[in-house]
Amino acid sequence: MGSSNTTEGTGGANADPSASDSPAAGPFAEGEKVLAYHGPCIYEAKVQKAELRRDEWKYFVHYLVSYEIKCSLVSDHVLFHISQLVAKGKKRKALSGTEEKDAKSAEKHVMLQFPLTLKKQLVDDWEFVTQLGKLVKLPRSPNVDDILKKYLDYRTKKDGMNAFFLSLRYNFPSNWIAESVGEILKGVRCYFDKALPAMLLYKKERQQYQEAIHDNVSPSTVYGAEHLLRLFVKLPELLSFVNMEEEALAKLQQKLLDFLKYSFPS
Amino acid sequence: MEAAGEEEQDGLSVHSPGQAPPSSASSLPMEQSQVELELRVLEALEIYPPSKLQGIHRHFVLYGLMEYLQRRFDRHFSADEVLQLLDRFFNLEMLKPDDEETDTLNQEEDFSLPQSFFVKDEQ
Repeated sequence: MGSSNTTEGTGGANADPSASDSPAAGPFAEGEKVLAYHGPCIYEAKVQKAELRRDEWKYFVHYLVSYEIKCSLVSDHVLFHISQLVAKGKKRKALSGTEEKDAKSAEKHVMLQFPLTLKKQLVDDWEFVTQLGKLVKLPRSPNVDDILKKYLDYRTKKDGMNAFFLSLRYNFPSNWIAESVGEILKGVRCYFDKALPAMLLYKKERQQYQEAIHDNVSPSTVYGAEHLLRLFVKLPELLSFVNMEEEALAKLQQKLLDFLKYSFPS
Repeated sequence: MEAAGEEEQDGLSVHSPGQAPPSSASSLPMEQSQVELELRVLEALEIYPPSKLQGIHRHFVLYGLMEYLQRRFDRHFSADEVLQLLDRFFNLEMLKPDDEETDTLNQEEDFSLPQSFFVKDEQ
């Protein structure tokens, strides 16, 4: 225990937790009132002592109201801060400070590897609009809604077949894949409608926008593939606000790429 | 063993001998899985704050929550199911969207294609 090498920073104090109480206590501080999950129930408890054992924090907790148990040694996955139960989203905001955002912006460039043909399409689009002053005619057909719908239909059918076989083997509900895709496509549509006036238009397109979009029309029913593709350039930036888990983000990336390949064939 | 004793004291099993044993037998593990579920939901909210469910990121936050629970419980969670779980803790309609997100999309900014898109083309 004396020379654990993998824990920098907090590790220095672990030999004697009582010497420096709070900063070295891991996620839970000594003396903190917590909620501890024990069997099927949650109990109010107090952290008496925090110890780093083999790189894992262990907490010796006293249950405040004694049932059949009074104290135990637990690891942090069964403990919860009391504030977690009354979370109002406020605390979260304080946590998501600037350094988190910086880390995200460094990450975001890696996020979507555009197929080369699509890069070229975007450059052509840039040339048409900004260099030649040629704007796409609105309303576009198919519009963004049509494109999303078409992909969802295709996905539902394809996954329906897969899911049929999967459900035979693993008892999955047959709509399980299509449903997460559905949520993603809804998200894309929502982003598109909000982002179009805010960040997807070249300067020369502003006037056209004013003429084409009146109060209740959503851009996704008017604009088409060209502008949808521009959204994908901005997508990493937008998604960085969601602060998604890596695994979920990786899956999302795959699904978005699949969408691009289907909807923008080369 | 203790559970059986309580049940007899309750007197429930006497009134409905046909139904009580199976339902009370299944209610215990059921409760446990519900607690487990709720705890994971609360954990997930550390990553996906519920306030984001009201803004433009709603669907991707929902997707994130679906994935989060799916991975922990090894089964599919639908968007509706996730929303129902959240509803146990929050009045979702009362939540206000984050200020930071509304800010970013309220300013107009012209689209510009990143330089990296041009480089490949020139080669």
